[in-house]
Amino acid sequence: MPKTLFEKIWDSHVVVEQKNGPTLLYVDRHLIHEVTSPQAFDGLRMNKRNVRRPDLTFATMDHNVPTSDRSLPIIDQISAKQIQVLEKNCKEFDIQLFDINSPNQGIVHVISPELGITLPGTTIVCGDSHTSTHGAFGALAFGIGTSDVEHVLATQCIWMEKPKTFEIKIEGKRKNNRAVTAKDIILSIIRQIGTSGGRGTVIEYSGETISELTMEQRMTICNMSIEGGARAGLIAPDEKTFAYLKGRKYTPKNYDELVDFWFENLKSDPGAHFDKTFTLNVGTIAPQVSWGTNPAMTTDVTSIVPFPDEYAKGNQDEEKAAIRALQYMDLKPGMQITDISIDRVFIGSCTNSRLEDLIEVSNIVKGKKVSSKVRAMIVPGSQLVKKQAEELGLDKIFKEANFEWRESGCSMCLGMNPDILAAGERCASTSNRNFEGRQGAGGRTHLVSPVMAAAAALAGHFVDVRELDLN
Amino acid sequence: MNGGVIKYERDNIDTDVIIPGPYLKIHDYNELAKHAMEGLDKDFHSKVKEGDFIVAGRNFGCGSSREHAPIALAYSGIKAVLALSFARIFYRNAVDGAFLLPIEIDENTYNNISDKDSLEIDTEKNEIKNLTKNQTYKMKPFSDLIGKIIAAGGLFNYKP
Repeated sequence: MPKTLFEKIWDSHVVVEQKNGPTLLYVDRHLIHEVTSPQAFDGLRMNKRNVRRPDLTFATMDHNVPTSDRSLPIIDQISAKQIQVLEKNCKEFDIQLFDINSPNQGIVHVISPELGITLPGTTIVCGDSHTSTHGAFGALAFGIGTSDVEHVLATQCIWMEKPKTFEIKIEGKRKNNRAVTAKDIILSIIRQIGTSGGRGTVIEYSGETISELTMEQRMTICNMSIEGGARAGLIAPDEKTFAYLKGRKYTPKNYDELVDFWFENLKSDPGAHFDKTFTLNVGTIAPQVSWGTNPAMTTDVTSIVPFPDEYAKGNQDEEKAAIRALQYMDLKPGMQITDISIDRVFIGSCTNSRLEDLIEVSNIVKGKKVSSKVRAMIVPGSQLVKKQAEELGLDKIFKEANFEWRESGCSMCLGMNPDILAAGERCASTSNRNFEGRQGAGGRTHLVSPVMAAAAALAGHFVDVRELDLN
Repeated sequence: MNGGVIKYERDNIDTDVIIPGPYLKIHDYNELAKHAMEGLDKDFHSKVKEGDFIVAGRNFGCGSSREHAPIALAYSGIKAVLALSFARIFYRNAVDGAFLLPIEIDENTYNNISDKDSLEIDTEKNEIKNLTKNQTYKMKPFSDLIGKIIAAGGLFNYKP
């Protein structure tokens, strides 16, 4: 019987399978960070358990690290403690840690691919919902909570109920693929399928547009699978995947043999059954801007802030949610998206902080200045991204344009480190969640692509980047 | 299980409003509980009572994988969340750590239960009794795996 890519990876990792029951699945790579791991290590100690495979476990600190000067001590004592605890745990259990001074430190979902820890056909878990990012390499990767982190540390396995499969075909040619980006594609998908459209499924993204995307762009798409409610996102590996991973720090020695195997095996068979399907044609999509308080509340940059009744199409719950969202966002229905003024710009996060994102941003801001009303920061996803960007001279371009150029970390994506919005501040953000208070209590988030954020920083309001000369 | 209802008539109650990011540094669960639901309802901590149930709409617990979300609710006294549907990571976190029961209910049940109603939940019979309104509803039974993890008292006590 023809199988999907998901089923092939799943089947090859089954340790115990019960009829109509749950499956015990083997975990190839376990990524950990300072926020969701401390209680898991406490649990191990309490029960006198060890880490089963420290060699398959990799740690970094990203969520609460400041993105300011690394030579200074961390002022927030509770964050400092959480970071010290991770250092102590990694030392005690012999786990590779990329600490705050490591040249390989960064957002866990940025560093794992760039170090070659993420590999096609593997299973990857992490106590972070955006673990779906690694699906861009044809890995089955999903976020877990701390109890499961402890279980994986102790056993290298996880109990799972088999997810359903969901194929999302992305077809067509974009008219301007510098202006209409991977971020606009995934926001368009979530806008249509909704925040729980992928619930209980693993999404496989396929189609001609996907094969044209770079690995960075594929990561942006898989990253936000969770915002559509899916367990994971997957893209079949191809020549681009194999080229990206070749020669990385942790890429296996027999890489070429593995590539042959992956090339043969890691794709859905023709005629394989998916439980659900959806097709997006990218030919007509515009740059996207979120206007509400979940990622599905998104519209075209050329459009208006929607009227709740029209947005809800007769669904009363949706209408109430839209009214509440507009109230929180302090927006009036009918106003042009391009008339929305912003106070802050955040370019960063595991969605959009890779070298390619920063190069695209530099093309827009080179020789220009951030609006005097706007405070704008660029936070590279890893110290390696930072180094590569500086080798290209991007830091100078950014600083001359009055952007803050910071050290790597999750930064203003989630408001648990010093980078936060003040109440009432409005931010154009390349991150993944526009939930109430996500970037700081009372803060207002508009999700956009890196080029849209860069253009908004210069203008002080949203602009349609298709009107700019991007070449 | 017996308790009162705190109802939020909304979908997509995310883990950032259940326990906002700045509090993820707190390791003391009772301290964490003081900030439960703070992003949505500043009065939650003062009104919640031991044994209470939250009733909410679709996709409850969407967003981050933070286990702090079910922990903050559980240590506030919440024994179960009754929702039209749950985001998957929240659902597993609630069950795996034996923090609270995530119970799926249908539209009819959701519409019939009001804020401050008293409920009695019997997970063996998959029944919810509304003591205030003298009504009985069916809950969606737990799947095989989830039912067994709950019966075992969490993931670490579960044996297949």
